Amino acid sequence: MADEVKVADKTETVESLRKIDDNLRLPSVPEKRVFPKEIDVSAARMQTPAVGQRATRPDGRMHGLGQTKYIDDMFFPGMIHAKIKRAGIAHAKIKSIDVSEAEKMPGVMATLIGSEIPVNSFGPSLQDQPLLADDVVRHAGDGVAAVAAVTEQQALDALEKIKIVYEELPNVFDPVEAMKDDAYKIHNNESNIYASKTIMKGDVEKGFADSDFIFERTFTTQMVEHVPMEPHASIGEWDANGRVTLHSSLGRITLGRADISRTLEMPINRIRIIATVVGGNFGGKNEITTEPIVALLSKKTGRPVKCVFTREDEFISSTTRHPFVMEYKTGMSKEGKIMARKVRLICDGGAYCSWSETTLGKACILSAGPYNIENLHVDAYAVYTTKTMTGAMRGFGAPQVCFAYESHMDDMAAELGIEPLEIRLKNAFNEGSASPTGQVLEAVVVKDSLEMATERFGWKEWRK
Amino acid sequence: MTDVTLIVNGETKTASVPPETTLLKMLREDLNYTGSKLGCDVGDCGACTVLVDGLAVNACLMLAGQAEGKEILTIEGLSTLEKYHPIQKAFEDVAALQCGFCGPGMIMTTKALIDQDEDVTRQNIKDALSGNLCRCTGYTKIIEGVIDAYQEITGKKLPEIKPRAA
Repeated sequence: MADEVKVADKTETVESLRKIDDNLRLPSVPEKRVFPKEIDVSAARMQTPAVGQRATRPDGRMHGLGQTKYIDDMFFPGMIHAKIKRAGIAHAKIKSIDVSEAEKMPGVMATLIGSEIPVNSFGPSLQDQPLLADDVVRHAGDGVAAVAAVTEQQALDALEKIKIVYEELPNVFDPVEAMKDDAYKIHNNESNIYASKTIMKGDVEKGFADSDFIFERTFTTQMVEHVPMEPHASIGEWDANGRVTLHSSLGRITLGRADISRTLEMPINRIRIIATVVGGNFGGKNEITTEPIVALLSKKTGRPVKCVFTREDEFISSTTRHPFVMEYKTGMSKEGKIMARKVRLICDGGAYCSWSETTLGKACILSAGPYNIENLHVDAYAVYTTKTMTGAMRGFGAPQVCFAYESHMDDMAAELGIEPLEIRLKNAFNEGSASPTGQVLEAVVVKDSLEMATERFGWKEWRK
Repeated sequence: MTDVTLIVNGETKTASVPPETTLLKMLREDLNYTGSKLGCDVGDCGACTVLVDGLAVNACLMLAGQAEGKEILTIEGLSTLEKYHPIQKAFEDVAALQCGFCGPGMIMTTKALIDQDEDVTRQNIKDALSGNLCRCTGYTKIIEGVIDAYQEITGKKLPEIKPRAA
């Protein structure tokens, strides 16, 4: 009898203790992961013949279950949040930055301004871009100061207390204006043109003289933002050995590592980057943005620091697709053969160089299109303006010129009364044609593709 | 700080949060349901979609306090330890998700659509997904996934669209 009571007491006590424990631990216990213990391999992943079968992705299951950990889904013990203040003014000299009020705000643990960054410049071809502007602001999305605080809201509140005195400088928004000699020099260079390329083939003037018709038109394209679903994000942790570990949404971590090593003035072996699943890149996450900033804020506070771009940051401060101004002049024979073409490309590079040089090169080579042109002259310029900087984005300049040369082709076909397909077939590359830069092409199927495609989607019927 | 109690995926959860906390922030940071994503924070992208009492809601636009006592279903609440949810399976099989960031929102919207228990057309699916943005897929595969899941769950067939004559 006595024993039974003891056992009952014991069970009850243990139960009640367990309950207290449960109550105490809720809700700080990390949520258990609920996903099926065993899932059959998707039929599509078992297949061996690949053609004609459904394709799946190896990470698709994790994405669908919500188990994929992007940067913003990671939390480290003691982690704090950083936010960056944007200039909000297109072009100005910074007279002073006062962060003392921001540092007094509740929850704020550290601030960072450009002059505290060891080497405040980076860039893939020209190192002309500061991480946080310390001297001159060159576009409205330039970061000027960063704050690390316990919560994101506290960091955002503290940003409003940062006092910056600006002295406005003239704005240069139009790339054509920016090329002129009397335009304000944004980077104190001799000219706002920082890259130029030329392709010359045959004799253009003679080609125009031999032509029956000459067509001229200027095409422009606009700036395009990548808008990845996941904003740029990174987490930095500076450790006691003077090494820094960065979790980052960068798409090109090796390049990023070199840039971080340069900006932090640290040997590259002390920098460890852990690349996570990227929630959309499209070229926009090829360069460092917040990484050295979180590293330095982590050094100051001794805690892991996370920085996630707001959607506004994403639009105004990350890179975009280059707007182009494309002047085309083409000489045509009566039969619809291109005799000569002169192209002038102006690439609006925005405030910093980034990947403009690469983009310009590719646009330049592709600007004549997949057509045999004996006499060609292409001039291309990349120009600084006081707008959001432009960088890598799917195609690197190819979509812009494609829009121009194909529109130009349609215009000419309409003017000459030749079928648009016909005029393309007349001029398109054949086996052994050379590209404008002299590369001899093999396995050329432009004409076959055009013919087959038009047949399949009913081009001839549609033309009737 | 206010105490907010939610019924998340069938379990009652309480957390003490500042009054300006959104439902999304509370789910992600206080309750560790990180499946719902923060994409734009202004209700445009739909990556944060969860079901509140069966309705698809942008969790970034709803304050945690407004959801007090309500039943919330997040992406973590679909599959159980025993069963893989047909929507998630359909999305995996057709490779509807590439970077996957929009996925949880897309799947929750799909769940709300199928739960309505009405006949669905391709246009209904497009309308339902209009609040969810995706930058990778071009939506084709996602719509295919929704159709597969709808047919699997309801046993109904979607009206066929006749291909345009060549």
